[in-house]
Amino acid sequence: MTKRQLVTGVAGVALSAALGTQALAQDFDWKAHDGETITFLANNNPWATSVLKYKDDFEAKTGITLAVDSYQEQQMRQRLMTVMNARSDEIDIFMTLPSREGMQFAAAGWYNDLAEHAKDDVSPEYDFDGLGDALVEAATFDNVLTGIPLNIEGPLLYYRKDVFAECGVEVPDTLADLQAAAETIKSCKPDMTAFASRGLKPALPYTFSNFLHNMGGSYMADGRSALCSDAAQSAIDTYATLLRDYGPPGVVNYSFYQLTSLYRAGQAAMSFQSSNELSAVMEGGERLEDTGIVPLPAGDGGSVPTTIGWALSVSAFSDNADAAWYFVQWATSPEMQAKLALDGIAPPRAGAADDPDYQAWLAEQTVRGEWNAALADLAATGTSEVGYPIVQNPESREYIGQAVNAVLLGDSDVAEACAAANEQLDALIARQ
Amino acid sequence: MQNATSRRQLGALAAPSLIFTVGMIAFPILYTIWVSFHASSATGQLRFNGLGSYARMIGDDRFWAGIWVTFYLYFLSLSLQLFFGTWLALLLFNAKRLPGVVRSLFISPFMMPPVVAGMMWIVILDPSLGVANYLLTSVGLPPSTWLASPRWVVPTLALIDTWQWTPYVALIVLGGLQSLPPGVYEAAEIDGAPRWKKLTRITLPLLLPTLVTAMVLRSVDLLRFFDLIYITTQGGPADASLTLNIYGIRTGFEFFQLGYAGALMITLSAIVLGAVIALNRLRAAVAW
Repeated sequence: MTKRQLVTGVAGVALSAALGTQALAQDFDWKAHDGETITFLANNNPWATSVLKYKDDFEAKTGITLAVDSYQEQQMRQRLMTVMNARSDEIDIFMTLPSREGMQFAAAGWYNDLAEHAKDDVSPEYDFDGLGDALVEAATFDNVLTGIPLNIEGPLLYYRKDVFAECGVEVPDTLADLQAAAETIKSCKPDMTAFASRGLKPALPYTFSNFLHNMGGSYMADGRSALCSDAAQSAIDTYATLLRDYGPPGVVNYSFYQLTSLYRAGQAAMSFQSSNELSAVMEGGERLEDTGIVPLPAGDGGSVPTTIGWALSVSAFSDNADAAWYFVQWATSPEMQAKLALDGIAPPRAGAADDPDYQAWLAEQTVRGEWNAALADLAATGTSEVGYPIVQNPESREYIGQAVNAVLLGDSDVAEACAAANEQLDALIARQ
Repeated sequence: MQNATSRRQLGALAAPSLIFTVGMIAFPILYTIWVSFHASSATGQLRFNGLGSYARMIGDDRFWAGIWVTFYLYFLSLSLQLFFGTWLALLLFNAKRLPGVVRSLFISPFMMPPVVAGMMWIVILDPSLGVANYLLTSVGLPPSTWLASPRWVVPTLALIDTWQWTPYVALIVLGGLQSLPPGVYEAAEIDGAPRWKKLTRITLPLLLPTLVTAMVLRSVDLLRFFDLIYITTQGGPADASLTLNIYGIRTGFEFFQLGYAGALMITLSAIVLGAVIALNRLRAAVAW
């Protein structure tokens, strides 16, 4: 189902709905919920930090009081789960990662369908069609629009241009080139980590998935786990080898925090990590001039980058769903997304990306331009498949991480590790 | 008559807070027991499953690994904390003229929130950027991967916990030392007993009830070891620090298997309760 179909409903009422939408947009009143209070459960990530700087603007514009309950990502999910299982109306709005929990939360009935709101209750300046199609579709489960996209992100290869030049290494075009580059850098700069990426079990599927897809693999085939396919075994082998032979000591505990610290400190020549970390990596300015950014080099299956995004959702149990939608609409409006882009939040709207202020911001530093070009690549060719496309996606990530960790730590060879993981993954698929 | 009326009035006044307190304690336990008799669907829906979750534990390798890690960490941490706590208490007891600031510094780690302590140790023990490896290599020793080593992760966690909680044990033991009867020491002094004998034959035997009290208090925390692991390793690498508590939390909150997580938590609670009962009996046996 396309986004337009989703918003205007079935074809028979499309015209009247469109006309009605236009009329409603003209009557839209930002003060319609003046005096109401809504609660926002936030993940303490760059998007939330950035948008909450403008909290007073939202309250002044709408008269709605915004109560914020902010946690780190995992703690936020625990709080959400407690509240939602109790079917409590305590939380009106929450942040969600559709690629991870979208299917699960949708099946549990936790999301308010935002398609109706996006159709009937929008300000004239809110351009729903301006949101990226792929991201809107990624947030749609069983025809329910579970959230409005907040950003676009994915893992990118941050590399040191100066080290590449010193060691005579070209920017890799293929995964084989990447491994060769790591080998050369290891000899040329033995005190430096040649390649770093996520090694922490539950966190690594985010980066590993790009290797899997680039090598032509997928997580499932014919309703069963495909982690032992030739492509998947090659991906596990390549990823684990890169981390084991060229990665930093203790890489098995590495997530975004350690990767950013290592690269920012000038200790890594290549770091495959989230596009969201650009601001953190550039903090202090030491890496501004010597860093280049590209998507992961292609493999046998071409270039299929991991492209995901956070979304903003309204709770199915909210008593203030209409007021909550006003916050969602304000926070995801073209105006706000253009403002947030200047804080390094890659906008999910093409319009915001074309904004002159954003273009000027990108032009200020070469690395920002490269970052933006790599993200454009992700938007055009990426997939949001991180882990198994099943309701228990979060648990599937555990077994993917387990297989990669087993090879990385030398506990098993690839065939044993993928077979052990497959057994658990097939049982998980069967449980669905 | 007047007394009976007063008692009734007191009872009526106390009843709401009594009911509230009992409810606050009993409800979560009873609810967890109830949940443990259910299986969860992928979306968190519960259906009655009898003892199915408990039967599943028997064949679950991660459960048994979790039991092993829980007890390994428990015994290692407890031994280190009792040893260093007693040593620190003796030091503070004998150093009568130690400035108050120094005494406060000694006990400061356990006042630090575990999350802050965890973050601090992540930075210190980072294999590439941390100061710990810098110090090791400065004196010619090989660097370690600390929390990232399946072999060393539990000893490293035990060391961090010992750094944080030894002062707490020391304070308890210090209280015990201050209550020891001085007459026994005077008699030993007259008999010319050396310091080592006074320590092993008088101080430590008389301190046993205090040490067992410290063991009870630390056992409850150590068997439920959670925050530090959650911050630093999340049970890794490769489940090497996956205690029963971490396994239960991840099973419930990340994988939506509330029924099985409930069974794991009830089992852990039973282990903690058993340890407390056993240690209380030991305390009664060594009381003087």
